[in-house]
Amino acid sequence: MYILGISCYYHDSSATLLKDGIIVAAAEEERFTRKKHDTSFPNNAIKYCLESQGITIQDIDHVGFYEKPLLKFERVLSQHLATFPRSMKTFLSSIPSWINEKLRILKKIKKLGYKKDVLFVEHHLAHAASTFLVSPFEEAAIVTVDGVGEWTTTAYGKGKGKNITLLKEIQFPHSLGLLYSTITAYLGFSVNNSEYKVMGLSPYGNMDKETNPYYEKLKQVIDVKEDGSFAFDMSYFVFHYADRMPSKKLCTLLGGPIAPRDCEMTQRHKDIAAALQMITEEALTKILCHVHKEMKCDTLVMAGGVALNSVYNGKILRNTPFKSVWMQPNASDGGTSLGVASYIYHTLLGNERNYVLEHAYLGPSYKTEQVKQFLDDKKIIYTTFASDEELLSTTSKLLYENNVIGWFQGGMEWGPRALGSRSILSNPCNPEMQAILNEKVKHREKFRPFAPVVCEDDALTYFECDEPIPLPTDFMLMVYPIKKEFQEKIPAVTHVDGSGRLQTIRRKQNPLYYSLIKQFGALSGIPILINTSFNIRGEPITCTPEDAYRCMMGTGIDYLVMDKFLIKREANPKDKWDSESRAKD
Amino acid sequence: MLKELKEGMKAFGNTLTTLINSILLFVVYLIGIGITSIIARIVGKKFLDTEKKDSYWKEYAEMNKTKESRYRQF
Repeated sequence: MYILGISCYYHDSSATLLKDGIIVAAAEEERFTRKKHDTSFPNNAIKYCLESQGITIQDIDHVGFYEKPLLKFERVLSQHLATFPRSMKTFLSSIPSWINEKLRILKKIKKLGYKKDVLFVEHHLAHAASTFLVSPFEEAAIVTVDGVGEWTTTAYGKGKGKNITLLKEIQFPHSLGLLYSTITAYLGFSVNNSEYKVMGLSPYGNMDKETNPYYEKLKQVIDVKEDGSFAFDMSYFVFHYADRMPSKKLCTLLGGPIAPRDCEMTQRHKDIAAALQMITEEALTKILCHVHKEMKCDTLVMAGGVALNSVYNGKILRNTPFKSVWMQPNASDGGTSLGVASYIYHTLLGNERNYVLEHAYLGPSYKTEQVKQFLDDKKIIYTTFASDEELLSTTSKLLYENNVIGWFQGGMEWGPRALGSRSILSNPCNPEMQAILNEKVKHREKFRPFAPVVCEDDALTYFECDEPIPLPTDFMLMVYPIKKEFQEKIPAVTHVDGSGRLQTIRRKQNPLYYSLIKQFGALSGIPILINTSFNIRGEPITCTPEDAYRCMMGTGIDYLVMDKFLIKREANPKDKWDSESRAKD
Repeated sequence: MLKELKEGMKAFGNTLTTLINSILLFVVYLIGIGITSIIARIVGKKFLDTEKKDSYWKEYAEMNKTKESRYRQF
């Protein structure tokens, strides 16, 4: 039985294909269209899902959509009714897309050639299913926290076997996700894109509640109860009727206007980011403690955009009574196509759970012949590795010699993180490497750290992780302190507060990647690599061999290790492959 | 020349469509949203819940639906 899950028209459109309950393909539309956070209908992602199994849309038994469009439209109309006449501008700009596409989703799906009925699952139920039904837990408390779905912004409940019950919710306009987005906008970053930058900025600020001047100020904005429920003072926000988020009153409270794009971050900005992170963590801890008490369950699964707050995720087991925690790699809206497909197969159709999501390599992969064909067609100069051993020894040596390597192997990752399939790898022991990577490739804000990848069996040597190491570290979803004695040895991945957003890797997940890290460790004495996403700033992670080659040629990546081929940038002409000029936020 | 003319006509058509749509939407907003909103304010109807409470948790509204209800967009 094939089930296709679809999410689109908000941000990070995606498609997921289930075969008898097992995820056989999943991808986000942005990787194909090359538009970051693409919201459009995921034609390309659906095409990939179907082609990966050699089937057509007629072979699909059920199609599910990740929200109830009319419920969401009711909320949008309620916003306009509540804020008339201030909402006129957003009414005129947003309603056409509702009329032209969002309310016509059924027609759009039928246009694919699908003749049967489509199932619609509420947004937060799709989030809940996306994490619980593919988790390793038979029973777990479920918490979903994001910007907004139809009406819900936060929900909790319980999952048991194949069933999910959401019990309580907090509704729009009160939303931790929207609070984070509002301050993200205030600091001059893009909403629904750069929230993680604010999270990365926060350790540079004053993380002391007593002395950070913005902590008490920001607390005026949100009323957080002891049971974790919360509500905004809406006089500080205008997102419910305007095309911006903070109100003038919030700007006055924080002591200045909205920061312009790409402005230099001052200590004031850093302190605001720190205050926001502290308030978010405080609210989340109260929510989780309340949920633990109510659900009487020691295992927790989370989903929603806020579940990508890896700084907080690393503190969950220390700050709450939960004993184990799980999230899937695509915890944000992109992951809801997985949720709706799983919900249909297990909860609605009553099939037992038979699958745990153990790795994120669910996207397109390319056979050796296909990669070779591409290289030959484009007259690219390359060498071929005779064996995996040669690939590993050559690549680890290049890394040890401080080269920046584009690493393109196997199936593309599901979710926002590069996890060793479409990654840029380099030497974390070199104190200059952060600057080199920024200068040569990423061109990103100086305050943003690079992430380390370490084999799971070495993680506790270098990082102060929870024990046993939570499984979401495999998906780069937890930040942990780096042990003091190693912070100076791996300066390129040590953040200002001594932490690292590590990825752990197990041999069975990706044997080649695992072995590369081990071989690098044999040379350097530190079995850790820098792992950053294989893209230029403002573009989605690479998908195809052409994307990868273009990315290398337009940047300062020294070598590309693609399948069993080694391509040296300097050996090939740059000319038309210059991707650098396209770099943006 | 013909191509440029066609493109010009297309651009003009698009501008006209946007203009007419905006005018129609403005009328809908003024009459549909405006009048409803004013009546709602008179009778005290709140569209967004912004009142202070002891707890902001609400019963999850969309649970316990039948499979059939999942075929609906609401």
